[in-house]
Amino acid sequence: MIDIAGILMENISYVLLITLGGMLISFSVHFVPVGGAPAAMAQATGIGTGTVQLAAGAGLTGLVTAGTVMQVSDNPPLIIAAGAVGAMIMISVTMIVGTWVYVYGVGVPPASAKVKYDPITKDRQDLYVSQGTEGHGLPTVSYVSGVIGGLLGGGGGALVYYSLMSAGMDTGMAMANLVGLASIFAVGIFFVNAVIPSYNIGGTIEGFHDPKFKKWPKAVFSSLIATFMCALVAVLTIGGL
Amino acid sequence: MSAGGPGGEAHGGVAPGKIIAFGVLGGLIGIYGAHFLSIINPAFSFIGALGAICAIVWGADAVRRVCSYGLGTGVPSIGMIALGMGVIASLFGLAVGGIAGPIVALIAASIIGLVIGLLANKVLGMNIPIMEKSMVEIGGAGALAIVGLSTTMAGTFMFDEVLALVVAPGYIAVIFIAGGMGILHPFNACLGPDEEQDRTLAVGFEKGAIAMIIAGIVSMVISTTAAIPAIMIGVFIWYISFAKFYELTKRDAYKVLGTGLLPTEEELQ
Repeated sequence: MIDIAGILMENISYVLLITLGGMLISFSVHFVPVGGAPAAMAQATGIGTGTVQLAAGAGLTGLVTAGTVMQVSDNPPLIIAAGAVGAMIMISVTMIVGTWVYVYGVGVPPASAKVKYDPITKDRQDLYVSQGTEGHGLPTVSYVSGVIGGLLGGGGGALVYYSLMSAGMDTGMAMANLVGLASIFAVGIFFVNAVIPSYNIGGTIEGFHDPKFKKWPKAVFSSLIATFMCALVAVLTIGGL
Repeated sequence: MSAGGPGGEAHGGVAPGKIIAFGVLGGLIGIYGAHFLSIINPAFSFIGALGAICAIVWGADAVRRVCSYGLGTGVPSIGMIALGMGVIASLFGLAVGGIAGPIVALIAASIIGLVIGLLANKVLGMNIPIMEKSMVEIGGAGALAIVGLSTTMAGTFMFDEVLALVVAPGYIAVIFIAGGMGILHPFNACLGPDEEQDRTLAVGFEKGAIAMIIAGIVSMVISTTAAIPAIMIGVFIWYISFAKFYELTKRDAYKVLGTGLLPTEEELQ
């Protein structure tokens, strides 16, 4: 039987860091302009897919960049920054290509239905929203919001991965096994924390200017509890080997 | 995306209790059967994937029941959270549980599922009456699907082998998506006012069979004796369940018409 209390005391700081990472991921989802199925038909503002797919795409890219940097450096801020930049690049590319498709393919101007003026550019929005839709495309404010989401989500994901790797470093586990285990735990924690806020916002959000954004404390609190449990389980598995 | 909008309780078909028993017992018997019979002959490792199919069908039915209420977001999210909880719980279970690993994994996943279900209803205010129960079921099904497919790939559920043969080479990611697809896709594909349980679960069996074929291909790395029965039986189950799904689709459809091929240029003139 493994020494549960001993392992937990030894790795308590990593448990807390993983929980913090999970909360950052949960918070980040509120920034990403997710339109879901209506946006795929250009009937709602945002990227035309679900929260989970977007969070996974950006977050997993963040994990890859964080993992790559972790091979050459063990400096935590650098690793977290690498994860954040990876996720920001991925979400930006997704959003810019999405915008090309909406503007040149579907033929709609990017417009938000939630605000009358774009809070960043001050451009009028409501005139450009087609009748019967909830806006379409990605106005500047949504784009900026999405990049902030990538920053927080990628940073959170990298923090989870870094903590899991650090918790396993001293156990003498083979490197390949540790990387595999830490990655899949990070992915699991990432998905749990991407779905919780997705239920909070009801599947669609335009960005930080959306009224639904104010609901974020509920999701972050839920993620705090859920991630803490997952972190305990993950650290016990990795630290107990 | 508001898939389905506010709905109600799912009706008809086999009672939830029977499907839960089928998933839990079938899953555990399959996993333990594969583990012990593989010692005699590696060819028996395919039984683990049969257990995973039971768990996947159970998960698909639980998704069907909870998503009938309308989640406010896409059905795929619930499949991904199932496998997210499942992968954490199953690796924990296998690491600490030893021979009781799959049972520890099932219990751990159920506890995580219960907490997430409570949070969804009480904190996020989703107000779906069966949310807690369904999250327990979905987490448990995800964990059993992962352990079952891992057992087929590695020939055992002992953590050291699973770690070296399934987790380290990254096949766990394949299990993650294939198992998640099995749990989330059936209801996502069949939802609507004319959804029927038997048709949805036929898709569940079919997706489970695809996961089984993939697990068989991976187990080729370890032993061909183990791979061939898994792939053959997987293809057989896939064919049977796909034929069944097609038959049920024709039963439920108002009319099935062939559109023919696209007209050639001469025919258009």
